[in-house]
Amino acid sequence: MTPLDSTAVHCTGIRKHFGEDDARVEVLRGVDYTVRRGELSFLVGPSGCGKTTLISVIAGLLETSSGEVSLFGNHLARMPHSDRVLFRRSHLGFVFQQYNLLQALTAAENAAIPLLAAGVRRREAVDRAAALLDRLGLGSRTAAYPRQLSGGQQQRVALARALVHEPRLIICDEPTAALDHATGEAVMELLASAAVHPDRAVLVVTHDSRVFHFADVIAHMDDGQITRVEPGRRTDTATHLGSSRLTNPSA
Amino acid sequence: MNWVGLQMLRNDRAKFAAMIVAVSLAVFLMQNQAAILATMLSMTAAQIRDVQDADLWVTEPEVECFDQVKAMRDIHLLRVRGIAGISWAAPLLKIDAIGHSEGGRLNTVTVLGIDDASLAGLPHRMRVGRADAIRELNTAIIDPGGHELFFPGEPFQAGRSLRIRDRRIRIMGISDIAAPFTGLPMLHTSRSTAAALNLGEQHMTSFILARSAPGSRPEALCQKINALGGLRARTTEQFAADAMWFYGSQGVPMLFMITITIGLIVGAAITGQTFLMFIKENARPLSMLKVVGTTDRQLGTMILLQGTVVLVLGSCFGSGIAAAVCNLIRTQPFLRSLYLPWEIALGTCLALASVTGIALYASYRHVRGLEPAAVFTPAIVTCAA
Repeated sequence: MTPLDSTAVHCTGIRKHFGEDDARVEVLRGVDYTVRRGELSFLVGPSGCGKTTLISVIAGLLETSSGEVSLFGNHLARMPHSDRVLFRRSHLGFVFQQYNLLQALTAAENAAIPLLAAGVRRREAVDRAAALLDRLGLGSRTAAYPRQLSGGQQQRVALARALVHEPRLIICDEPTAALDHATGEAVMELLASAAVHPDRAVLVVTHDSRVFHFADVIAHMDDGQITRVEPGRRTDTATHLGSSRLTNPSA
Repeated sequence: MNWVGLQMLRNDRAKFAAMIVAVSLAVFLMQNQAAILATMLSMTAAQIRDVQDADLWVTEPEVECFDQVKAMRDIHLLRVRGIAGISWAAPLLKIDAIGHSEGGRLNTVTVLGIDDASLAGLPHRMRVGRADAIRELNTAIIDPGGHELFFPGEPFQAGRSLRIRDRRIRIMGISDIAAPFTGLPMLHTSRSTAAALNLGEQHMTSFILARSAPGSRPEALCQKINALGGLRARTTEQFAADAMWFYGSQGVPMLFMITITIGLIVGAAITGQTFLMFIKENARPLSMLKVVGTTDRQLGTMILLQGTVVLVLGSCFGSGIAAAVCNLIRTQPFLRSLYLPWEIALGTCLALASVTGIALYASYRHVRGLEPAAVFTPAIVTCAA
């Protein structure tokens, strides 16, 4: 695999501002950032430094003011809006801080949403999601509604939703922020074991320093710029790439 | 994804129920008021349409409806009979008089004197007795409302009598005619009997009923009769339409239309507002759906389906209640003509759907304007769609 082939996310000179004139706020000030396949990358920094804006830009949810974002060699900014939505549906998975589960749906149905959005038949989608939940340790709770689940269980459902369609990039926004330390650790362990795969990148935005030891790479961000990139403690990629994987993303 | 939308709707039971109740009440109110209006208007023409053996009505030129009576000279009857294409023509005498029952009840009655020879204009449907029993002098048949008024609570039966202008009129049967607009009891009797009740009047013809001969067009015959001068001929439906227009242009429908419009506006406003609230309160889940790749088209279809379910369920409940109330009311003899035409049921539902559609479109625009990136932040922000 060449260095270029191994790149999942490549950001060059990303700038993003909101408002104009006196109300203009520069949120991203020329970000150069790369995430490689098979990596569990952490993006850390103080509140308001631009982390959420950066992942929104990477996910194609926000337009850049300037600069380019490439996901697996695809330039989202050059795609029509509809193609960008379909690309996101196929290749990206998301885990949110507040889980964002639909209260009307069971755990399995929530986890099946990306498949349903892609047009997979409901029965098949829910069965596949239930099987994944089983592998994530929630086999007995597939029929439970979010209000019947603990925070950690809800985050595992959210993780299943991010994995069920076998995306190539998973973006996690503060996945442990709403959880206590032990539950956060458990969720991160699950994320590291279930999500990381040689052909998949996992990007975690967090400022929960208690879980930094799960990272392969930690990028520090401040005032709209990447200030430092350092290896995490999980630098022995051979170890985690060789570990048991729960999913196999399609190329 | 449509299924997801339905589950979201079902899960928010309070708003789901509120929207269905709002639609139901609006539909009920509109259908009920529209049905009463339609019934009232049809009642203004009921006595015209009840005469099924004639297809032409000839009156004095000024007459606009059945309740306007201007006596016609008997010569007019001969003039009409002389028109080529007229199969037959018969006089109909209409008078109002005070009737007394044996039990002491008193009320104004409308007496219709039917041509003794042809019995043209005789009711065709009877609840009790035979219509042609009125050939006998000083007999009549009465409508159900009249019977209830003079003999309240008593079963329909022949043999009772009324005193009208010092004559004892024996009731030979109960007719099954439509309820009159005036609400007055309708007595059908022979023209001889009616004339005896109309002593002192020179002319004994209020309307001329005529039948076109086979092969003759009633409209063409009307033109021929009108060309004679001094007469106005109309087909049954033309006369009925004139009668409805006459009463309809006097302001009463406006009052009903105000209520109907209020029902429409209030129903649509509550439904639309609640639906918009439902959508806004679900902004975060909807943003999440956008983030994971649900297209605007899929979300639009979801919203349309949610709105359709609310409207269909609400319309069904509202129409059901309106029909049930209508059936309950029409058990009363005076209100027996109340009916709920399917055109009104459909029209009110479509009207409500059209107005509520604006709210659905506003909801869709709101969803389109949702910034998916906002799902990463605690507060949902929107941008212009």
